[in-house]
Parts: sequence; C-alpha cells; structure tokens
Amino acid sequence: MGAVTIRDVRKNYGSVAVIHGVSIDIADGEFVILVGPSGCGKSTLLRMIAGLEAISGGEIDIGGRVVNNLHPKERDIAMVFQSYALYPHMTVEQNMGFSLKLGKVSKEETRKRVTAAAQILGLEPYLQRYPRNLSGGQRQRVAMGRAIVRDPQVFLFDEPLSNLDAKLRVQMRSEIKALHQRLKTTTVYVTHDQIEAMTMADKIVVMHDGIVEQIGTPLELYDRPENMFVAGFIGSPAMNFLPGRIDQGAFVADDGTRIPLNPLPPAAEGARVTLGIRPEHFRLDPEGIAAKVVTIEPTGSETQVSAQLAGQDIVGVFRERLSTAPGADLRVSLDLNAVHLFDAATGKRLVA
Amino acid sequence: MVRQSTGLLFVLPALVVLAMLIAYPVFYTGLLSVTDQQGAFVGTNNFAAVLGARATPQAFWNTLWWVGGSIVFQVILGVATAVLLNQNFPGRGIVRSVTLIPWVIPGIVAATTWAWMFHTEFGIINYMMTAPGLIEAPIGWLSNRDTVLPVMIAINVWKLFPFVAIMVLAGLQSIPNDLYEAARVDGANFWHEVWHIMLPQVRPVIVAVTLLLVIWGLNSITIIYAITRGGPANLTLITPIQIFRLAFESFQFNQAAALSVIFFAVTIVVVFIYIRYLASSPAEAK
Ligand SMILES: Nc1ncnc2c1ncn2[C@@H]1O[C@H](COP(=O)(O)OP(=O)(O)O)[C@@H](O)[C@H]1O
Ligand SMILES: [Mg+2]
Repeated sequence: MGAVTIRDVRKNYGSVAVIHGVSIDIADGEFVILVGPSGCGKSTLLRMIAGLEAISGGEIDIGGRVVNNLHPKERDIAMVFQSYALYPHMTVEQNMGFSLKLGKVSKEETRKRVTAAAQILGLEPYLQRYPRNLSGGQRQRVAMGRAIVRDPQVFLFDEPLSNLDAKLRVQMRSEIKALHQRLKTTTVYVTHDQIEAMTMADKIVVMHDGIVEQIGTPLELYDRPENMFVAGFIGSPAMNFLPGRIDQGAFVADDGTRIPLNPLPPAAEGARVTLGIRPEHFRLDPEGIAAKVVTIEPTGSETQVSAQLAGQDIVGVFRERLSTAPGADLRVSLDLNAVHLFDAATGKRLVA
Repeated sequence: MVRQSTGLLFVLPALVVLAMLIAYPVFYTGLLSVTDQQGAFVGTNNFAAVLGARATPQAFWNTLWWVGGSIVFQVILGVATAVLLNQNFPGRGIVRSVTLIPWVIPGIVAATTWAWMFHTEFGIINYMMTAPGLIEAPIGWLSNRDTVLPVMIAINVWKLFPFVAIMVLAGLQSIPNDLYEAARVDGANFWHEVWHIMLPQVRPVIVAVTLLLVIWGLNSITIIYAITRGGPANLTLITPIQIFRLAFESFQFNQAAALSVIFFAVTIVVVFIYIRYLASSPAEAK
C-alpha cells in the first residue's frame, strides 16, 4: 500500500542536470536511507517525491499511483524538514493539528490524534508552548509529531538530526528507529552521515553526483561495496586504498611491496588494480609487512594507528593495546578474506 | 554606576536638542491654551470656547471617518498588493516600482492633480463615466455632501497604500520558504497559505504600520486643505484643519492652542489603547 517506486527519475535546473536517472524500489513499510556527500542530489530527489520540486523525467509511484503531476497534498506523504519548519505563530498542538484542520477533520478527532502523537513522542507537557520556547530536540519531536498525526503512506525526512548535538543525535536515531518499528510506515530518510545510514536503515541507497552508486542492506554495502566510491564512503574510519598491479597471484604495490592474495584475484596478470582494506582488517603479525607508525590514538577499547604502509597513508584499528611509538615500525598482515580489489581505471569491484 | 553616568553624558546633547524641539513647543502650546492674547491667565475659557463651537463636534466626527476609513482601505489594499507583488510573475520588478509612485509624489502635487481629475465639468473622471453612459449627468464630486469626504479618503488611500504594500512585502520576503513548503505538504492551498502563514507572519508589521497610519491620518492636512480647505460647509473639516484655520485664518492662537491640547490628549489615549491592546501580541511574538 505504501510502496514507492522511482523509475529513471531525472532533474534539470534549466540546462543543468542534477539527477541523472535514478531508479529505486521501496517496499511497503521499509526504512530506506538516501546517503551521499553534500550536493549529490539527495534533497532534490526527496523533494521530488514530496511534490515540492517538479520531476523533469521518469516516474514516481506512491502506493500504486503515479504522482508526477499531483500536488504535495494529494500524495498522502508527510515530511520532516531539516530546519523543522514549525509554524512560529502556532502552539505545538496547533502545529501538530494543522494538517488535520486543513483536511476538515473534526476538532474532537484532531485533539485525539494530536494527544496520541504527543504521548508517543513525550510532548504532552509542551502542547501549549510556542516553538521558540522549545529546545532543539523538542522542536525536532514536534516536527515528527506533525508527520505522525497525519498517518500518511510515506514519511520523508530530510537530514532531520543535523541540527542536534552529537549526544541527542544518537538518542534520536534510536527513537526514530523505534518509532518506525511501531508505526511501520514506509520511510525515506536523507542524510549525509553514513553512520546514521548504517545504524538506522533497512536499505541504503548510496548516491553520488546525481546517480545511484549502490543499493543494499547496510552489511551488504559494508562487505561487498560495488565500487571504490561506496567502499570509501561507508565505514569509519574509511577503507584504505593501495594502488598497484596483479603479479603472479599476488598484489604488488607501487613501491614494490608484495602482498600474496588468497583467494586468487579475478584480474588479468599485470592489470592495474586498487586494493581496499578496512582499518579493522589489519592484524599484528611479526612476519608481516612493515608499517611506519605516524600517530597512535588509544580509545581504551581499541587503538587507532595511522601509519605509512607500502608508500601510502593508512589507518589501522587494533583490539590489542599497542606498546609502540610514533616513528617505530609495526609489522602487520592483511586479513585476506576481507581484501577488496577494484579496477584502477573504472573503480568497479573485481568479482571472482 | 560609573558606566551609567558616562552613558548619560553621551546622550545629553541629543536630549537637549530633543527637549528644545519637542518639549518646548508642547509646553508653549499648553501655556497659550490657558492665556488670552495679552498673555493673561484665563483658566479654561479657551477650552470652553472651542468646545462650544459648532464646528468642533463635526470636525471630530469627520476626523474619525477620515482616519478610520483611510486606514481600513489602506491596510486591505496594501496587504493585498504586497501578497500579489510577492508572487513570481514576469515584470514583477517594474510593477513593484510603479506601485511606489503615489507614495513618492509630493502630497500637494497629488492633491492638485486629483482636484482637477474630480472637477465637475472638466474632470477626466466625470468624462470617463458619462461618455460610456455609466452615469447620466456629471457628479459634483467635491461639492456633493455624500461624495466629498469619501473622495478625500480615496485620494488618501491611493497616496499611502504603496507604503503599506512595501512594508508588508518586506515582511513577506523574510518568511522562510520552508514554512510554505511545510504548509503545502500539510495540505494548504494558496488561500490557506495567505491566511495561515503570510498574515500571521507579517502581523507585527501590519500592527506597526497601522499605528503609523493612525498618527499620519490624525496629522495630515495636505490633501484636504489643498483641495477643499475643509469645505464645503465643513463637510471635510477635520480637527487639524480646524486648528490650522483657527490659528492662521482667524488668528485665534489661544483657542487653537486649547483645541490642540484636547486633540493631543485624545491622540495620546488612542495611541496608548492601541499599543496596549494590539501591539502587544500574544506570547509567540518575537
Ligand atoms: N534551485 C536550484 N537551482 C539550481 N541548482 C540547484 C537548485 N537546488 C539544488 N541545486 C543543485 O542540485 C544539486 C543537488 O542539491 P541537493 O539535492 O540539495 O543536494 P544534497 O541534498 O544531496 O546535499 C546541487 O549541486 C545544487 O547546487
Ligand atoms: Mg540536502
């Protein structure tokens, strides 16, 4: 009922194309996160779903209805804005009930639904306050309450947590997730924060420069990134990349460092490739490759090390407590099952 | 403490100038109102004289109509124009500039031009209405007792609605776009946006502008004096014109001063009530 289908959607501002044909299938009740660097077109895509931006090409289908030419109010969607966009001259209660008032829902019913939403969000004590008398987190909740009250087919969120402090952001993350588990309303959520995407999404859509780079569950993206962009974008600290080539079943970095590969790479002998390895996939190994330590950052539970390995700056994360110092040599080996190989020219994953 | 007195020193010159420019005339008017032409104290005689004059109550009611009628239409027309000019349409910049013209034209020039346009025999307005047969005979706009004050009000509205429009437009332009978008997603059409977003958001501007219009309306004599001088038969006589004529046509400076004092008191009360009950908006105001 609340499924969303996006088919080859494009957006041009005049002669400038900012979305170059995006297709996404969102099942009813799914929590989908659009993630990507700033300016990649996430908001534009979301606003096209909302009906706030005209669709230059392709089709958007909500609940089995093509909505290309429908007004926002006819699409049965609710949106939470980055700025919250609360009506400053209305109380929390009026803000939350505004859509019902416009929809000519009876006063009694409106009150009932607003109260119910306020209860879910813990906003009951603030119903008579004006937005300016609320903290950032409370405003954020009111913005969500305004969406919940309508019980729409789809929730749209545009970076709803980016104006909150770090601690509140983590808390709201789990609250939004819990809310979704309770209401099971299809949700499209935009963020530039890959951690937010990893922790909240059923399905992540990684966008870059107006195209979709990869769609998958958080762990699919983490374990099998289809290209170097996704590999570098998902995960923190980011994946390390070593440029080099394939030589007799081994990877040879540009400075000559030889890393035997197992399983064998699906690339032709001599091909230029980029090896990707996540920071947590280094192991301490007395027989391993030498890495010159640059900085050491112990966090208690683990130790993050920046070092020079095979002529590249790399970051490694170790569970062990290291007794090494900047300038010293650390011998490490790579977890060969967690090595990613990418075609150096196209950036695409080399699959066996 | 030291800082406070230093601050006082800095504003002192301005205060002295203000005192001379404002306090002195007010004080002197008060003095004139309780003395005769020789400067002898006469108590409330001047007040009794002006209050007893037949023109006074008539001028009072005329003033009420003049101010009230002008403001209602200035605000309605001004706000409507602002909402219109806030929309996106080709040539908006030109229309915005053209709208300002009445506000820029000097009052005396506008009044004289309108007087000619409303002239019974030669005026373009009667010409335009008689030619296509809208009315049978020319109307004596400026001599007919039912039309003369409304015509004055119309000219005043024409003169000042651009001011309201520009102020409200500035207010409208400071409304963040996402409020409209949120409203649209919430199911609002254009009229809902006007009623639930635009008007509440520019309310403080409208309140402030209305107060200015009240004060200007109460003090304005240019248009009426230039066209009718308060006539015919005192039909357009408003209190400030009555004061002006008492002082500079009848040379009754003391009675004029007494009327000024009464007018001043009434104005203060009106402005005070207005600020107390309208300008102090509910908790939400910024
Ligand atoms: N009204 C507009 N006119 C022209 N270009 C725009 C407009 N709105 C957005 N863009 C461009 O479209 C691109 C995508 O913007 P946006 O969707 O806001 O990115 P994101 O939300 O991913 O940060 C950006 O390069 C931006 O400059
Ligand atoms: Mg954005």
